[in-house]
Amino acid sequence: MLASASASASFLPRPKPKPHLLKRLASALTPPSPLSPSTGADPDPDQDPTPLFLRPPAHPVPAPSLAAFRRRAAALVPPSAPHLHRHLRWLLADAAHDPDADPALLRAPLGDLEALWLRHVRDRRPFQYVVGNEHWRDLVVAVREGVLIPRPETEAVVEMVGRVEGFEAGWWTDLGTGSGAIAVAVARMLGPEGKVFATDVSEVAIEVARLNVQRYGMQDKVQIRHGSWFEPLEDLKGKFMGVISNPPYIPTDDLPGLQPEVGWHEPKLALDGGKDGLDHLLHLCEGLSSVLKPGGFFVFETNGNKQSEFLVDFLSTKWDSSFHDVEAVLDFADIKRFVTGYRR
Amino acid sequence: MARALLRIARCYSPLSSPTPRLPPPLHRRASPPLRFLSVSLSSPSPAESAASSDGPSDVRKGEDGRSGWDDHLAMSDDELMGQCEMGTFKASGPGGQHRNKRESAVRLRHRPTGIIAQAVEDRSQHKNRASALSRLRTLIALKVRKPINLEEYTPPVELLQILPLKSTIRGKDAGPQIGPNNSKFAPGMQALLDLLFAVEGSVSEAAKILGLSTGAVSRLILSDDSLRIAANELRAAKGLKPLK
Repeated sequence: MLASASASASFLPRPKPKPHLLKRLASALTPPSPLSPSTGADPDPDQDPTPLFLRPPAHPVPAPSLAAFRRRAAALVPPSAPHLHRHLRWLLADAAHDPDADPALLRAPLGDLEALWLRHVRDRRPFQYVVGNEHWRDLVVAVREGVLIPRPETEAVVEMVGRVEGFEAGWWTDLGTGSGAIAVAVARMLGPEGKVFATDVSEVAIEVARLNVQRYGMQDKVQIRHGSWFEPLEDLKGKFMGVISNPPYIPTDDLPGLQPEVGWHEPKLALDGGKDGLDHLLHLCEGLSSVLKPGGFFVFETNGNKQSEFLVDFLSTKWDSSFHDVEAVLDFADIKRFVTGYRR
Repeated sequence: MARALLRIARCYSPLSSPTPRLPPPLHRRASPPLRFLSVSLSSPSPAESAASSDGPSDVRKGEDGRSGWDDHLAMSDDELMGQCEMGTFKASGPGGQHRNKRESAVRLRHRPTGIIAQAVEDRSQHKNRASALSRLRTLIALKVRKPINLEEYTPPVELLQILPLKSTIRGKDAGPQIGPNNSKFAPGMQALLDLLFAVEGSVSEAAKILGLSTGAVSRLILSDDSLRIAANELRAAKGLKPLK
């Protein structure tokens, strides 16, 4: 199906999009409406804050109509972009209860699906925001505009927590939890005494994290607290076995050069790390001693090599009396992505 | 489709990175492409199941210096994973928060045998790792030959389980016949190839030992594309005609 559509796109002159696609496209060029400041399309096909993949499959669409949609949608992306054809397949997998049924039961009207697809391929809206989830580790994490999409690199953080002796019984905190991906993944590994306290200053993040915690039935293990970094943890000082954080770490000057999917659509709040990208990381380092138990573990994600090296040097020289075994840990691309260590 | 999938292996988000570092090219097996158990019939493609081996097909000695034959297929996923180096397709650029990249290819290199298995088509790295591991098991079954002493040979239970019920050596306790879509097919397939290797590729000799007709063993070999290809390579090395 995809192959035939993309093959025809390479042999024929650019196929004419259907009138309603053109209309959506035209509307994408008009100034953004106040209702959807971040995406610029009107009307907004996803006013419903429920992620697409969690909505009820309540819109029957005859198989030929869905097939025609597939062809139109595939024709909008060049055959040279196989990842976009894969995204189309995943969009249908998430949007339809069974994409091959006749009629297929969609989780959104077909017109909305067309608009969503255009948002992705024309407006460069991240695919994860379009379908409302990211497959991360063995989880399907709900996401939406306003929370950072969890990155594959960050999966390793959960592994590092799992290697800490006695982690199962400890209390952990995930600072700036965003979607709650790390908090849920860690909570699922914990024993009956283990807990995760997840904080975030963003109200959208709190909502999304709450949804993800519920979806995985972790309400008893994960406590979500609204506030900046350590602020909501005043009553838990010195109680934590571990501190985890993937804070904003991109230097402000690098923000304009980001890939559009990231720079145009993901929250600056979750990306902007200040002048050197270290503002939040340094703040987190400063707070470690007051929340960690003696012997407690910490892991931070960083912008990579230089930032990690700086933090390792900083923690093991200036604060040598407070921490030990501070080291930079490589990600799967051999970039020094993480800084880990223990409180003395 | 096949062409689109071929590109998956070298796929990267074309959005902001002009020259991604591509993985070193893999040796592709000569056509026809191997089909793996976890790949559906409708989309056999070398890119989905690209595989290669740095080593000879009857690996006796691993890089770690251990000699002798290890039963890799009897290992748990964790144990097998422990023998692997995991590589992913490295993207250029800073990664992390800078990048939106849904593709999460995984490439496993099994140190003792040099066999490489990869998976690219799933949505999470986690699932790709599981697919790559399952492919690795298949490739080990196909490529790693265990020497057999025919004098003292009795077919292992893994092999009995994939034989058709009419086999005269197959006891009732072997249970129903396990087919190519079952994950337990790989160890049986490995044992069958071990036997075929020991009898120098002769299907009729193997059939005698397995209590089956030559035709029944041929049909078993032909029931799975990767098994057929491996068996025919083995026969070709002995100067025998391919099974069709």
